[in-house]
Amino acid sequence: MKVSLNWLNDYVDLKDISTGEIVDSLTMSGLEVEDVVDQKEMYKNFIVGFVEKKEKHPNADRLSVCIVATGKESVSVICGARNVERGQKVVFAPVGTIIPKGNVELKKAKIRGVESSGMICAEDELLLSEDHSGIMVLDPKLKEGTPIVDALNLDDVLMEIAITPNRPDALSHLGVARDLSAIFKKDLHLPKINLKESNIDINDTASIEIADEKNCPRYSSLVVLDVKVDDSPDWLKNKISSIGLRPINNIVDITNYVMYETGQPLHAFDLDRLNGKKIIVKSTKRKSEFTTLDSKERELLRDTLMICDAEKDVAIAGVMGGENSEIYYDTKNVLIESAYFDPSSIRKTSKYMQLSTDASYRFERGTDPNNTLFAAERTAALIGEIADGKIAKGSIDVYPKMIEERIVKFRLRRLNKILGFNVSAEDSIQIFEKLGFGVKQLANEELKVTVPTYRPDIEQEVDLIEEIARISGYHNVPTIPRISITLDTKHDETVLTNNVRDFSNALGLSEIINNPLQPELLAKSTGDAVKLSNPLSMDMAYLRTSLLPGALSVVARNLNRGEKNLSLFEIGNVFNLKEDKSDINSFDDFDEEEKIIFILSGKKVERDWFSDTKEYDFYDLKGIVNSFLSKISLDNLLNDSYYSIYNNIYEFYLTKNFKDREVGLGGKIRSDVLKKFDIEQNVYCFEFNFSELKQIPVIQNKYSEPLKYPKVFRDFAFVFDKTVLFDDVRNFIQVKSSKLLKNVNVFDIFESKELGQNKRSMAFELEYFDMDRTLTEEEVEKDFEKLIKLVSKQFNAKLRGN
Amino acid sequence: MLTDNITRVKKDFSKDIADVKDIGDLEEIRIKYLGRNGIISKLFDQLKDVPKDDKPAVGKELNLLRINVTSQFEKLQTSLASEKDEKESKVDLTLPGKKYQIGSKHILTQTLDEMKSIFKGMGFSIHEGPELESDYYNFEALNFPHDHPARDMQDTFFINEDFLLRTHTSPVQIRLMENMKPPVRAIMPGRVYRNEAVSARSYCMFHQVEGLYVDTDVTFAELKGTLVAFAHQYYGKDLKYRFRPSFFPFTEPSAEMDITCFMCKGEGCNICKYTGWLEILGCGMVHPNVFKSVNYDSEKYTGYAFGMGIERIAMLKYGITDIRIFFENDFRFLKQF
Ligand SMILES: [Zn+2]
Repeated sequence: MKVSLNWLNDYVDLKDISTGEIVDSLTMSGLEVEDVVDQKEMYKNFIVGFVEKKEKHPNADRLSVCIVATGKESVSVICGARNVERGQKVVFAPVGTIIPKGNVELKKAKIRGVESSGMICAEDELLLSEDHSGIMVLDPKLKEGTPIVDALNLDDVLMEIAITPNRPDALSHLGVARDLSAIFKKDLHLPKINLKESNIDINDTASIEIADEKNCPRYSSLVVLDVKVDDSPDWLKNKISSIGLRPINNIVDITNYVMYETGQPLHAFDLDRLNGKKIIVKSTKRKSEFTTLDSKERELLRDTLMICDAEKDVAIAGVMGGENSEIYYDTKNVLIESAYFDPSSIRKTSKYMQLSTDASYRFERGTDPNNTLFAAERTAALIGEIADGKIAKGSIDVYPKMIEERIVKFRLRRLNKILGFNVSAEDSIQIFEKLGFGVKQLANEELKVTVPTYRPDIEQEVDLIEEIARISGYHNVPTIPRISITLDTKHDETVLTNNVRDFSNALGLSEIINNPLQPELLAKSTGDAVKLSNPLSMDMAYLRTSLLPGALSVVARNLNRGEKNLSLFEIGNVFNLKEDKSDINSFDDFDEEEKIIFILSGKKVERDWFSDTKEYDFYDLKGIVNSFLSKISLDNLLNDSYYSIYNNIYEFYLTKNFKDREVGLGGKIRSDVLKKFDIEQNVYCFEFNFSELKQIPVIQNKYSEPLKYPKVFRDFAFVFDKTVLFDDVRNFIQVKSSKLLKNVNVFDIFESKELGQNKRSMAFELEYFDMDRTLTEEEVEKDFEKLIKLVSKQFNAKLRGN
Repeated sequence: MLTDNITRVKKDFSKDIADVKDIGDLEEIRIKYLGRNGIISKLFDQLKDVPKDDKPAVGKELNLLRINVTSQFEKLQTSLASEKDEKESKVDLTLPGKKYQIGSKHILTQTLDEMKSIFKGMGFSIHEGPELESDYYNFEALNFPHDHPARDMQDTFFINEDFLLRTHTSPVQIRLMENMKPPVRAIMPGRVYRNEAVSARSYCMFHQVEGLYVDTDVTFAELKGTLVAFAHQYYGKDLKYRFRPSFFPFTEPSAEMDITCFMCKGEGCNICKYTGWLEILGCGMVHPNVFKSVNYDSEKYTGYAFGMGIERIAMLKYGITDIRIFFENDFRFLKQF
């Protein structure tokens, strides 16, 4: 909210306090000042200029060359505005002035060959409004050379304050002034109301009825007759435009002024346009439509609180008035509405209609139910004075059930327990009283605090403690330099995840982090996706069901940018609806699981002096997966299955299983899938269900003694049919060999014309040892010879090299 | 006579060794002078014919000759050998080393790791919670009533009326307290979502670290002490800070912590919006209504909570001006850190 320092001075005398100190104190007591405009500073170089001469620019039709008298000299200035004329008094910025719009320094310039030493300004350049239709034309009586600050009374300081939702009271100048009076221990002066009532009884002019007391607990009203709708006087125009409002007419301007003064939203009805001169506050019984004063037809939900006359709706309560009853130029009689509406009712309406107004903003945060009459009287008095109206005698104030002030107990001991420092009873009492709270000291250490209804945020003792803390300043709370630590066990649920990141790094993979929000097509390609009800865009309407689509998007993006060799991993949560569920009604309806994905694409080794190019392949992926599993001690607990059958994502793939339950899957991505991502090189991915891996009980690693005796190695190579799989041969060897054979490694595989079609050679290295003794050549040789025979026979294979 | 021979051999040797061009020449000289049947060996044979009185002197001279020849020979041998190595070496040590690829953690992970280690050192545990949350955990239990404007502070992605993507890591506080009795001292890192238009300054998801400490004597003064200690460790000892009152429904009193802008050192710049301060976190004392929702006795226990955005802190620390770069996963960006 924009707040004017001059305006604040109407209620609390701040003249002896520097602007800097005021701004700081507000921020440090909870009303954060986000921006400050000190007009005296901002406009210090601008002066009144006199246009002595105006000629057409010789080289540009739309520009004029003006001679401007500045009081000291006459300078030539190029001006593009159409409304500039000889004899005008204008706002002149000499060379060197900082122009507020854009915050740029004005320099001497040549415009189409003619020199320009300064600028004649429009309102928007001074940030006085958005208006750029022409230059500002000033009062001809002003003398050239007069500083604009004096000529236009631009001596205010305007602050943009961020008001948190708990402080509706501070959405007004009086509210901000009240905080300042507490901070600087000064008196707060409420505006004096000079109500000159006529002898016409208000009850003869109008009547009011509340049909929905729950949503409208109070409706106060005054009536002013025979008003003259006109432009507002300058002081009022200046006041409301200083905080960024556009002056409309005196009646509307006054209601805005009183709202920004007191925080109470007001509405002025043209009384003669109210059928039956009657106001009825009630909620709609069905869906309907209504045209608001901005000439928009709006749909109303059932149970929307409305202001009605005897026949029709005239305003959406607390949100916006209707076109059918607004003030217009020949309005004579005015009914002032000053009501208290239930905050959540207004909020619902405003949310549904996506219409937030100054009024609804205040009502939904909570206005003061006990200030409606004051605000109505203040408004009526000003209308009487400014619009020359006759104020009807008395008021109509429908308030069936008084909303009482809250009484909250406050213990100094409790303040100490929460803040960790002491405040005296006297200081506390002073702060409370300055904030307008009633205080009664019960015992030495205890106060009974009566909280005014303009502070709906103060509900309990801790809220009072915050008031003391913020007004006396958080810097007064000590910053203690030591803490005590309990000696119970500390948990770190992220240890395994951290380790996995380290292992992945060691395997050469870099971590990526993707946005889990995806378009429908991607999310549904890998699972039963959860849909957002209010997505930002269709591209981000679903939650990912797998890390794979995000990974492929990253590959595509990098290829696009010329990064073609990628080794990546990601750890993140994915979301899947459970089978037969279409919506989420409980945590049992979906799975949120942590997954980890490994991604390889492009060259593992680039062309270099020591090696040829090597592309990543399936065996790189498999190797990484297995190394990873061995680091987290799961390699011996999981088993592999291989698939080359049809799959909509993978050309061929491998699964890792724990007791028949698949915990990981990956392989080579199909080229038609890659095509959809515009990827033209092979991509290998493997995705683990990390949540499930974490559930597998790991056998604690134990020390095993290194082998003391020599190993014995034997090699053989066979020519097999290509249909014979490595794994089958190895398993066969392991089953048939003696217990002394500990490892079977394949070290050479090739095909060639000499071997024959559909044949390949596989060479194996057999590793023999015993933990307790040295082996003899004979026993190894015996086993080796036996295996040669058995393998040849079993696989119809031919031993090579013999 | 022998003495004359010695003098002549000396002269011959000097001439011969001056003519040596390579190791082969040198080997010839070795055989000629120092070989078993070489000149010097023969001179020694002649020593027996020298008169007894002259023997010591001549012997000494002969020995000197041998030492001299040997030493000159060895010197030349070393220099020729190194010349040969240089000419014939097969190892070009200037070739580039072979590439070994080591991966990097995402910069957000690295930032979080650093924060975790500071808080672990202060006795905090680390816990996690789900991203797809219920309205109850994300709002209601944290004292955000239905239809309250406080909910507008966090633009929310909803799944439906009761489920949503968590807007902060604070729901993990509730889950933690539901499952344990005080004392509770933990940080809770995680991903959160906000329904905000994507721009250089805001993204629809980001990461937070939540902190919570509940015990019998936890005060606002201790909260300040803890966070100041964190800031000093993370940003440096000479940093200035301030705590400003703020509003969060789940803490009372609430505060925001600012530190001196390290771009301009407090002078004012566009990063700190010309205030000289940078907001780094929100914090406060746990609201009694929150304790009520987890059945903690708020008369007996007090607690503090805090939360900070990891992206924001990483952006400030590394001078990153566009938040979107974190999630583009450009390999060149990933490899920078
Ligand atoms: Zn700065």
